[in-house]
Amino acid sequence: MSADRILCVDPDDGDRAETAERIRRDLAELDPVVETAASLADAETALTTETAAVVTEYAFPDGTGLDLIRSATDVCPDAGTVLYTDTDPDTIDTSELRGSLTEYVGKGSVFGADRLTRLVRTTVESRAQASYPLPQNETERLAALQSYDLDAPGLSASLNRVTDLAAEHFDVDTASINIINDHSQDFLACYGEAQGWEPMDREDSICTFTILEDDDVMTVEDVTDDPRFESRSEGLLDLGIHAYMGANLVTASGLVIGPLCVYDDRPREFSSADEAYLKDLAALAMELIELHNRPDAEDGGWQR
Amino acid sequence: MSHGPDGGYEFPDEIPIDAVAAGSTLLVTGPALSRTEDLALSLVASGTEPQEGSLFISTNKTAERLLDMCRQLRPAFDATRAGVIDCSGQDLGRTRFEAQVKSISTQSDLTGIGMKFSSLYESLYADARNGRVRTGLASLSSLSMYVDLRSLFQFAQTLSGRIDSAGGIGLFTLDPTTHDTQTVNTLGQVADGRIEVREADGVDGELRVRGLAGQSGDWEPFSLP
Repeated sequence: MSADRILCVDPDDGDRAETAERIRRDLAELDPVVETAASLADAETALTTETAAVVTEYAFPDGTGLDLIRSATDVCPDAGTVLYTDTDPDTIDTSELRGSLTEYVGKGSVFGADRLTRLVRTTVESRAQASYPLPQNETERLAALQSYDLDAPGLSASLNRVTDLAAEHFDVDTASINIINDHSQDFLACYGEAQGWEPMDREDSICTFTILEDDDVMTVEDVTDDPRFESRSEGLLDLGIHAYMGANLVTASGLVIGPLCVYDDRPREFSSADEAYLKDLAALAMELIELHNRPDAEDGGWQR
Repeated sequence: MSHGPDGGYEFPDEIPIDAVAAGSTLLVTGPALSRTEDLALSLVASGTEPQEGSLFISTNKTAERLLDMCRQLRPAFDATRAGVIDCSGQDLGRTRFEAQVKSISTQSDLTGIGMKFSSLYESLYADARNGRVRTGLASLSSLSMYVDLRSLFQFAQTLSGRIDSAGGIGLFTLDPTTHDTQTVNTLGQVADGRIEVREADGVDGELRVRGLAGQSGDWEPFSLP
């Protein structure tokens, strides 16, 4: 995982420098990249998909901190945001920010800076403002994912055969093997329409819920009728996803790197036999990844 | 009643829950006709007795009604150590409170609720013994009628994170009989454990604690005034 990027935005030079320094010092063991900006325009330029937290004043000559929080919601939806401000919260009109959340810490509080850094730490470490749950072993899970060379020669072709099998068995036009990264979902193997899909934010991915399943398989009969996805169902329907089944790829140490998925463009039920078959295929996919990452894999003896 | 030797939050003797570690958030779940909400209010309100702070987010009861309930449930309740975010939508008017009270016009304004929560938390934290503050949110089920599940999860997760970072404890009520499994499981992800409540003959109710180490996990009766 890359270093956490924390953006401190304050029009007051002294406050901005003090806040940034305090975060650098109190969160030193996280070794964050602490960036600063004096204006909303500069801050919006500094936002990236890797931004983990935004700490901002409320009042700026060119707008308010809420404008920046709205921008952050678009650019880095997993980032935590904190209003660190002199402004009385009772005077802030939050109605314009509905749909986004932010923390508030008063600069005037005698606990101000200490509370701020503890809150930023929690926000960054547990991704406390994300709109989806994280697996309890997320750190280990990401480390396991990164331990594999997913560009190993021949791996993609092998996994594509698995998605071909899944699509044929379930009579669907689209199937894929997805990897759930720190902030995004990437596609490792695809069948049909999925070959044209781009990586997506994790908050928009169905699979970010699949990797939480204790029995490693999840079905969604109708995305428009599931409370976890109904608010995002328009985008899913645009991709031809009305029904979904995903089975997790689980490492030998029990960590999930992502699921094998089939998608239907109509509402559909899946049986327990369907779930069992997809789990078998997911296990096969995981074995292929393990085999392609063996030290002797480059010899290619087993591949043929 | 004070905090336990490990710094955990302790509860009244008539409620069979052992001390819970600082930083924890628990779901308190039970059907509407059970005394789930009374139990959660009692667990939070009892914090003022050992000079802790008690902070309530009340979705459908006015601050006045909620504070009255706290006094009934805990006669030693000290409202001067309490704060209420009143999301009932009713005008506070000129009502004077011993507690610190802030109002929100609509339950859909999660940002406003969160910011007032942060502000009140700081205020209570400053006066509470060892900065110990208990938070009660009643209820997630009510909020779910105003916002979608993902927004509600994000809100509850944010509160839970703040409670964790401040060494507090959170008790969020949910009526699982009014939600589907996906909703209950998703909201359950924000909590470290769950207090399940059910009705029982001859007692105010029974509860069991799930997901937390050091708790019996068995159904046990509890009593409330």
